[in-house]
Amino acid sequence: MRKRGTPPNRALRARRPPEISPTVRSLPLAFSLSSDRSMASISGTVTATSVRPRLTSRAPVVKGFSGLKSVSFSIQRNGFPSVRLQAAPRRLRFQVSCAAKPETVQKVCEIVKKQLALSDDTPVSGESKFSTLGADSLDTVEIVMGLEEAFGISVEEESAQSITTVQDAADLIEKLVEAKSS
Amino acid sequence: MLPLHSNSLARRPFASPLPLPPASLPSPRETHIWYVVPDELKDASLLYQYMELLSPCERQSVLRMNGERLQKGALLARALVRTTLARYTDGRLSPKSFKFQKNRFGKPEVEWDKYDLWAPPPLQFNISHTSTMIACGVTLDLPIGIDIEEKQRKTSNNILSLAHRYFSPVEVAYLKTLADPECRQSEFIRLWTLKEAYVKALGRGFSGTPFKDFTIRLEASNSKQVTGELKSDAPSIVVEAVDDPGILMNRWQFALFELNNSHYTAVCMERDVKNPADGENNSLKLEVWRTLPFVEDECVTETDAVKNIIR
Repeated sequence: MRKRGTPPNRALRARRPPEISPTVRSLPLAFSLSSDRSMASISGTVTATSVRPRLTSRAPVVKGFSGLKSVSFSIQRNGFPSVRLQAAPRRLRFQVSCAAKPETVQKVCEIVKKQLALSDDTPVSGESKFSTLGADSLDTVEIVMGLEEAFGISVEEESAQSITTVQDAADLIEKLVEAKSS
Repeated sequence: MLPLHSNSLARRPFASPLPLPPASLPSPRETHIWYVVPDELKDASLLYQYMELLSPCERQSVLRMNGERLQKGALLARALVRTTLARYTDGRLSPKSFKFQKNRFGKPEVEWDKYDLWAPPPLQFNISHTSTMIACGVTLDLPIGIDIEEKQRKTSNNILSLAHRYFSPVEVAYLKTLADPECRQSEFIRLWTLKEAYVKALGRGFSGTPFKDFTIRLEASNSKQVTGELKSDAPSIVVEAVDDPGILMNRWQFALFELNNSHYTAVCMERDVKNPADGENNSLKLEVWRTLPFVEDECVTETDAVKNIIR
């Protein structure tokens, strides 16, 4: 479902309805073994569901040195641009990298869900870390091999080690696919 | 409601947990293993008790896990580590009081406080989990790695494809000799657990020690080891570098067995050179307990729960 707003930056306007994948943070769970699941609050934080539409074109994302917060522009549902702070990745990087296309992220999510036998309604998005999805090292190597097969690429071990999230995998895939075709 | 907030109105009162029965320290050649079967946990109030043991940071990590099953597993894993270690302190340290740090490769270890009149035992530990079991191995002052895998675990990729990619040539050749696919499958899993246990004992983990660089295999009996001691008749598990075949890395000893009829389990422990063995038997000793912390402990060492041991 897409809200009709006019994105201020034409370059970011979707060619088709943007995939809005809700980023649902794990709400603090009631540990009940019965069917009664009420929400509890953890001291300090109750996080809300946030909706972050994916950028459908290759918008540059500038990432700074680890430790500095980087800034990315994202378009919220109502079409107003907003500045969203996100923590810089832990590895030292100062480069302009392009976020992968949503289709790539989606395909990675599918492969990951299949490997980890997650139900269809399990929320998996670009931000999902393999470890929090319950992947062990054998799962991770199987996922890498599955991605290689699906995208016709070959991932080197050093690169494979740096993949911790779905987004990492998608970004690497696109880089390799592009390198292959150039 | 989960009563994590101390002044939460919904706090459910529960009796203080039963004290953990103290355990004797592992001897120099021993690994102690404590394992939990998550499905055995039927009492929801236990989860609250376990949650109380964790640091705020650990709680956050638990709750970041995707879904209730994974959160429960992560919670049990932390509770298992803390309660297990506490058992060896003769009642002086509570499970809640432990602090942890990571070594430079990211391996978790205990951060011991300094006490005036008591030296805490230099315990080392390692954990491994699957969705149906969590195991914690403990030694006295010796690096240890443990890995468990469900016996029934299936791989999405072809075994030989995986092996060609990740195992050493000697290991691939071995797997190729196994004609029966089921046999090949289970040997792959067993070899995987051994290799995992080794890299975890080293402390560098999967990413720090490429699987391709070393071979784990059985060494025939009656060979004189570098230590100069004659081994017993049974073949033993050894590790060697691919670049240096024939030079066995004798620092490390292994045990591979089946746990609870459900899991292949591999343990890798550094050999204790400070305390050379008297007599012939130099191999790794195991003591194993099935536990549900604060509820029940059962020593299963000499039972059917621990079988088909290869060292």
